Amino acid sequence: MAENDNDEANNHGNNGERTRLARAVEWIVIGLAIALAVLVVFFVREYLALRYEQALNAREASLEAVLKAHGPLTANDVDIIQDWMTFDYLSRIFSLPADYLKTALSITDAHYPDLSIGAYARSAGESEAAARASVQEAVKNYLLEHASSASK
Amino acid sequence: MIALTGSLLSFVLLYKYLALFGIVYLGAIIVPWPVNIMLLAVGAFSSQGYFSFWISLATAVVANTAGDLTDYALTRYFGERLIRVLQLHRIKFFNHLQAELRSDAAVTVFMTRFAGSLSSITNFLAGLVEVPLKTFFVYDLAGNIIEPFGALFLGYLVGNYWANFSNFLSLIAGIVAVTVLLFVFLRMYRRIVKKYELV
Repeated sequence: MAENDNDEANNHGNNGERTRLARAVEWIVIGLAIALAVLVVFFVREYLALRYEQALNAREASLEAVLKAHGPLTANDVDIIQDWMTFDYLSRIFSLPADYLKTALSITDAHYPDLSIGAYARSAGESEAAARASVQEAVKNYLLEHASSASK
Repeated sequence: MIALTGSLLSFVLLYKYLALFGIVYLGAIIVPWPVNIMLLAVGAFSSQGYFSFWISLATAVVANTAGDLTDYALTRYFGERLIRVLQLHRIKFFNHLQAELRSDAAVTVFMTRFAGSLSSITNFLAGLVEVPLKTFFVYDLAGNIIEPFGALFLGYLVGNYWANFSNFLSLIAGIVAVTVLLFVFLRMYRRIVKKYELV
């Protein structure tokens, strides 16, 4: 009799524990569903913002954007230059001669071209924004000069 | 985070595949840095001819798998001691979680490859509950091929203007991660209910 009582008490305890486990998982699922809903809202907002910027607005615009994204960079694209970019990378993506930026900006750092704009700014004692602006200016000058000489 | 991303990008441009390997490897172990944004950028660099798409993919897959195996090995060999030190075996929920993971290892390992930081936690748990190495490796590798391919390919597609799409990718990654978590926990819930006939 006493043994039966003990078994029943144990079963009761186990069931309670299992129900608690199921409930805990239930709460996790509810929390995740809410998180998913919030993320979907942000995703839709981001998508609409991209549409608004005409990046994905129309098929024609997308095609144009894709072509531009894979075409050679021009003087109008210098705004993509960022502090983390290295001179080697810049020379490659803007098709500049390897030493053009070194000469144009009078860079003496021995690490050139394996040097980022940020590192160059620190070694030259300039602000990153000023260094970036001078790099953008130099790249723009080169591209404009060569675009005009190519059109002649 | 923006400063960290910038530093990592400089590092990737300077040391190329070695840097990519290091970043992906440490990210796979547990370091919470923006690996997907890196892969998106490297995909764009591939479209500019600065990186090779296929070498980048191979590097990312090998680094990711090596990082996951490191997590797995750590808890597989030191797990018992860790459980005893942290007294985890006394927590009933932990014991149930162990049992659930053991019975659903393959799907959980594969699905959590797309769930960001959760994949590291799953790696640790997989070692802890002694998921067979072969099962872990096969499903880990399968997930690790698909996940970096997606980020690299998106970067390759959007090209020079990849930075405009980084928020978009983060949101997609977030949605996928939460959906995977939901899937895993719903499976777990269904099994608990079925096993104990709670409803």
